[in-house]
Amino acid sequence: MSSEVADQVACTAAVLSKTPDAAVVSNLGVASYVLAGVEDRPLNFYLWNSMGVTTAVGLGVALGTDRQVTVLDGDGSTLMGLGALATVAEADPPNLVIVVWDNRAFATTGGQETLSGTADLAAIAAGAGLEAYEAESDAAFERRYAEAVAHDGAAVVVCRVEAIDPDSRPPADYAHVKRRFREAMTD
Amino acid sequence: MTWRDEIVSALAATDIDVVAYLPDTPLGPLLDRLEETDVRIVPVAREEEAVGVLSGAWLAGERGALLCQSSGLATAINGLASLAVPAGIPFVAFVTRRGGPGEFNRAQVPFGYAMEDVLDAIGIRTASLSHPGDVERYAELAAESAFATDSPYVLILEPTLTGVKDEF
Repeated sequence: MSSEVADQVACTAAVLSKTPDAAVVSNLGVASYVLAGVEDRPLNFYLWNSMGVTTAVGLGVALGTDRQVTVLDGDGSTLMGLGALATVAEADPPNLVIVVWDNRAFATTGGQETLSGTADLAAIAAGAGLEAYEAESDAAFERRYAEAVAHDGAAVVVCRVEAIDPDSRPPADYAHVKRRFREAMTD
Repeated sequence: MTWRDEIVSALAATDIDVVAYLPDTPLGPLLDRLEETDVRIVPVAREEEAVGVLSGAWLAGERGALLCQSSGLATAINGLASLAVPAGIPFVAFVTRRGGPGEFNRAQVPFGYAMEDVLDAIGIRTASLSHPGDVERYAELAAESAFATDSPYVLILEPTLTGVKDEF
């Protein structure tokens, strides 16, 4: 068990700072809550459900644009849809980075442990054929995220974070979130 | 014109940019045909991912189509019910039905038989296609209606159209 972990809020802010024009697709729960709290922007697509499908949505967006696309997924959601890593590796869009916030917990349902204490998500991503990075501090995340964005192919950054319970929420109107995102993408 | 030609033509006529798929025996030659067109083809590991990929394509301004077997659509119900329907994200699906007339495999029967009921219960329209000659018109109308109404539309390709898997 690592003693150091990164701050998910600071690292989410670092994503928007490094790639301000990125389309960002965020997993249900904490990933979306934090993103909405850092900045609720038209180019954020927050999932309100569909755990395990977040990365696939990001892949679909990335294949349809030249813009940087960043997925903010969670360890539980990634474990639920591991096959998607193989799907992403096969398509390999160079503009796609998948950040996995690994808090080792189902944070929105009471913090029950996920399987990521045992499963090595970065090794699984690498085994699927993806460029994979790991980070366990804010500074390391910033470096790894920059490398992942620069990488000429799809890349994954698994970032070890503390389980947090933020108060911020994305807009609840799902159709509005969709329409706002699509209009920003097709402007 | 075969039913496969009709689908290729309908996808072009309705400006489909991307096809996500898992194969089925009758869909193999259709996928070969689509490889020769400008459509982007995305193979997925599990059909629910295709719902995600096609939703992402729509979010990026594109139009998508799903190709899979009925047993595969069963794995996609969560993505349909918790993303495409509540967010209002359209695509057209071509789903080969197992479990109908000519089926030998009882494991294909429950979902293959209940597919329309399950989709109906979550608010997704379906149409059953069993006659060559009808396919292109239905496919074009279903796709245009999907994109006009922000909802998925599932076209079921019956074994009487695509051929029965012969294991008797």
